[in-house]
Amino acid sequence: MLKTKKDLTRYSQISYHLMMLPGMFFLILFSYVPMVGIIMAFQDFVPSKGLWGSNFVGLKHFIYMVQLPDIVKVIRNTLIISIGKILLGTFMAIAFSILLNEIRLKFFKKTVQTIVYLPHFLSWVVLAAVVMNMFNLDGPINQFIASIGIPKINFLGNNKTFQPLLISTDVWKEFGYNSIVYLAAITTIDPGLHEAAAIDGASWWKRVWHVTLPGMLPIITLMAAMSLTGILSAGFDQVYNLYSPIVYETGDTLDTYVYRIGLVGRQYSFGSAVGLCRSLVGTILLLTSNWLAKELTDRKIF
Amino acid sequence: MVENKSVKSKIRVAVIYLIVLLLGLSCFLPLWNVVAISFSKSAAVSANRVNFWPVDFTLAAYKKILDDAQFWRSFVISVIRVVIALALNLILVVPMAYPLTKNSKEFKGRNIYMNLLIFAMLFSGGMIPSYILVKNLGLINSIWALILPGALPIFDVILLMNFFLGNPKSLEEAAIIDGAGPFQILLKILVPCSKSCLATISLFSIVGSWNDFYSGLIYIQKPVNYPIMTYIQSLSVDIQEMLRSGQTSQSLANITELSNRNLNAAKIVVAVIPLLMIYPFLQKYLVTGIVVGSVKE
Amino acid sequence: MKNLKRSLIFMSVLALAATMPACSSKNSESSSGSSSASENNSQSSKAQADGPLTPYSDEITITLGRQTVQNPKIPDGDTYENNAYTRWLKKVLNINIKDEFEASGDDYSTQVSLALSSGEMPDMMKVSSKDDLRELYENDMIADLTDAYNTYASDYIKQIYDSYDGRALGDVTFDGKIMAIPATNVDTVGEVWIRSDWAQKLGMKIDEDKNGCITISELEGIAKEFMQKNPGNAQNVVGMAFAPWLTADEPDGTYSINTIAYALGAFPKTWINENGKVIYGSTTQETKTALKQIASWFKSGLVDQQLGTRTWDDITALLVNGQTGVTFGCWHIPDWLLNNVRSMDSKATFESYAIEDANGKVNCKHNNATAGYFVVNKKYAHPEAAIKIVNLFYDEMANSKTLKQDYPEVAKYQEDGVDGSTRPFNIEINKSTSLLDDYSDIEKGVKGEISPDQARTIESRTVIQNVKNYLANPDGCEVVDWSKYHSRMKGIELIQNLTENNKLNWVTPIFPTTTQTMKTNWANLRTMEEETFIKIATGAEDADTAFDQFVKDWNSMGGEQIISEIEEQLK
Repeated sequence: MLKTKKDLTRYSQISYHLMMLPGMFFLILFSYVPMVGIIMAFQDFVPSKGLWGSNFVGLKHFIYMVQLPDIVKVIRNTLIISIGKILLGTFMAIAFSILLNEIRLKFFKKTVQTIVYLPHFLSWVVLAAVVMNMFNLDGPINQFIASIGIPKINFLGNNKTFQPLLISTDVWKEFGYNSIVYLAAITTIDPGLHEAAAIDGASWWKRVWHVTLPGMLPIITLMAAMSLTGILSAGFDQVYNLYSPIVYETGDTLDTYVYRIGLVGRQYSFGSAVGLCRSLVGTILLLTSNWLAKELTDRKIF
Repeated sequence: MVENKSVKSKIRVAVIYLIVLLLGLSCFLPLWNVVAISFSKSAAVSANRVNFWPVDFTLAAYKKILDDAQFWRSFVISVIRVVIALALNLILVVPMAYPLTKNSKEFKGRNIYMNLLIFAMLFSGGMIPSYILVKNLGLINSIWALILPGALPIFDVILLMNFFLGNPKSLEEAAIIDGAGPFQILLKILVPCSKSCLATISLFSIVGSWNDFYSGLIYIQKPVNYPIMTYIQSLSVDIQEMLRSGQTSQSLANITELSNRNLNAAKIVVAVIPLLMIYPFLQKYLVTGIVVGSVKE
Repeated sequence: MKNLKRSLIFMSVLALAATMPACSSKNSESSSGSSSASENNSQSSKAQADGPLTPYSDEITITLGRQTVQNPKIPDGDTYENNAYTRWLKKVLNINIKDEFEASGDDYSTQVSLALSSGEMPDMMKVSSKDDLRELYENDMIADLTDAYNTYASDYIKQIYDSYDGRALGDVTFDGKIMAIPATNVDTVGEVWIRSDWAQKLGMKIDEDKNGCITISELEGIAKEFMQKNPGNAQNVVGMAFAPWLTADEPDGTYSINTIAYALGAFPKTWINENGKVIYGSTTQETKTALKQIASWFKSGLVDQQLGTRTWDDITALLVNGQTGVTFGCWHIPDWLLNNVRSMDSKATFESYAIEDANGKVNCKHNNATAGYFVVNKKYAHPEAAIKIVNLFYDEMANSKTLKQDYPEVAKYQEDGVDGSTRPFNIEINKSTSLLDDYSDIEKGVKGEISPDQARTIESRTVIQNVKNYLANPDGCEVVDWSKYHSRMKGIELIQNLTENNKLNWVTPIFPTTTQTMKTNWANLRTMEEETFIKIATGAEDADTAFDQFVKDWNSMGGEQIISEIEEQLK
């Protein structure tokens, strides 16, 4: 049964392709076949005419999108809100996973860990009511603010506070769930590294900084790069359930804006064109971050 | 010097406990509010009077759920769906993640596969062509319409690949010298070393299938076959929309009586419970890691 | 590419067929089989079908797109596909119902689009908007129902549609052809609801001339009095609260400022045709006046200081908590909104008023006469079956005196208040006068002038009993008795009195279909409108400059173009 090196390589190659096969079948069938639908972005799609019967209009919807009077404002809001969420959200999830890892009371640790991922399961329809009760003029936050002598703030109806409110409530909702993958990353770090650092007399901060974080770095880069692909979506459900015309100026995002446009005569093609642009931006960002990762850490994301 | 250090570390531990406790509480209270609402009478709920304790305690909402045949039918559909989807996800993701850890010299075609995956993750044809495909496959109204289109979670493939890459190369090389082929390496070495990541992927899969209501709305055309979250979603009443579509006062009255917020709250509570029960099983793979502060000072 | 696709589909079917239990492909096969079968014998059955309710000699099957409601009230074991109504339909007309898809609300519209995109339209289905109807007509997907309507519609059904002076059928007539069965929409008048138990407690005299109307300054006085005296002993009292969107498209507009605006001669979110010149109500000087009124109340603290962020549910909470005692909505809000107030406070009662303008008239606008349409697939062999179903459910069921003996199951459904959406066509078809007709039944029934059985509808019979219960024990009766009393004997009675005394000044708006420029610019114009209005109302911007700027921008950013397109539509 002696194998030559060449046989071995061929055997490995075939095995690798075999391993890819079942997944690729599903990928082609359920992701690539429906991609013919991308042509909708270049049509005036009418359901009763179908995908093949609708008229082609070229770049009409893209030109229309760029010419929308509020498009600059809307994209600015979207970017501010989603970058805020990515930065603060990533930081919180990493920090929480490191802190939780310090807890040694098993029961406490497990309970807290179960609890922090609860908000992830509540939809924004439900949570919006909770957020509004907390932050309205008569709510507990304002009662506290008033008690220390600061004038009350209508957080949901103030263009200065609305974006921070969106960012912080979203981070609060998701940090627990997002920390799961970082907890998994911490488990893979070699304990020996910590011991060695401790023997060298490194303080807690130093060990977090020089051992834990570098150990998590590939996963952190991956997660950050992935969240960048969604930079043009600022979370439709959240914004839709919390905003009102008063805060359109700072709260209106690409999702909500496109939604309101789509309400007038269900414009599938326009939605499709916006989606395509979003994917393009996501692709560019992902490729850039992959390249950056390669340059900076010498390890690609994919 | 030594004393100073241990006082410092005690303070540090205390601060960490405090922060974690506060974060935990902040996440717990909203759900507790939902629980309190589910046990309160509807008038008190509509008056926004329920905070963290039920007002006018009642079990009416839960009684109604127990009698609601559709709720349980949808519940069972979702359980079946979660189990099949989890199995299928793992069967597809685990073998794919391994060859992708190779570079394009070790595995010819690796980059083509990878680019196909990345592209599919970023671009989508949208709802209508997916619907037509599922319809042509004859899957409309069947549980497979909920499972198959999402059978390959691409992000999980990339995540697992990155975890595999984190394993020391020496283990794999030793196995190759012992004559192990790719399948043995994957199953005997990489999978056991990546339990925490597999637990994470499983959790994503379970939570994802359980929470997904959208594919139910598209692919399931009879509410009898709705999975649980689609069912719950379909209960939320848009009164504005109803007024616009010219509903009679009779049906408006019926609807507000049946769909009041406490009943929906109870349904949310019941729907979240299975996820809470599953978590501890996966959790043990997530918290066994080393503790930075546990190393002797 | 096509070959690849086909072979992939084939492969996957092979792979899955073994593991799949009864999947829907079998169902769709059997349904297409039955529809082709019915096509074959369509000739013979058409010849025999000659009356409004003549049964088909051979059973026919209709596949339907069904718009359901959330939480429908249906007896155990019955479904949308199989219930007393569908069984009745089978028995009387020999028609079988099969649902192609069921969904509620907006999800239904999605299912309609999906069915159309995949080239499979059910035999009959509801469409919600005129735009959808036009699209189906222009793409030649739906059957012309003109002959079927003329031949088969019963006299009573024709009377119903005629009561709208052509506004209902006119809406579905394209190039002289009736292309759909329209659901009708009855007119209502916006009302102000005021806590009468509070007014009594404070010894207030409201509407001393008893004509059912108050002026805007009287309204202000009442809200002020409630706010200062706080008869509900509540914290954080609010004079008047409005929804964030302020104005509503529908005339009654619950929680909107519509009633106040109308009294000032403003018709926001309304298209009006003045001798061929189209005007958009939100851009008129009268609307500015209305907004200034709200802004001055906001400034003085009479209007909710959280205006703009106070949601629908929160306004309901204000009422239930006794934080406010003045609200706005049409006759039926006691049935589904104000009933919550009564549940919390057994002493609560309301009185409803209309707001009169400077000339002592109450301005109100007609509703769109239609609310949704039922269409028939052009390929379906029995378009007249749609008319027969209408005859059965909107004539026979409403008018039969012997329903209880003949079909006890159907009568029981109505008595139990089983959801009307379980009828094959989830639409309402009522005479334009039906609201006041029902009221007159109820009034006579309560006074004992007619016996409850003589009331035209089963619902009226129940309401008569509810009202009697309330009158016998106003403080201790059930909430539902309280609700029905308030909605009918306060809400509709007001409309009746205003009609009788000739106080109503009806405005007839136009309801244009979405024009080309609307498609591209409307969302933006609507956004600008709501943003400006709320800023004016909350004093964030000066009313005069902001409003004039809004009108200018509105016209230049597509409004003018839209108006000329609508004027073109009218020609």
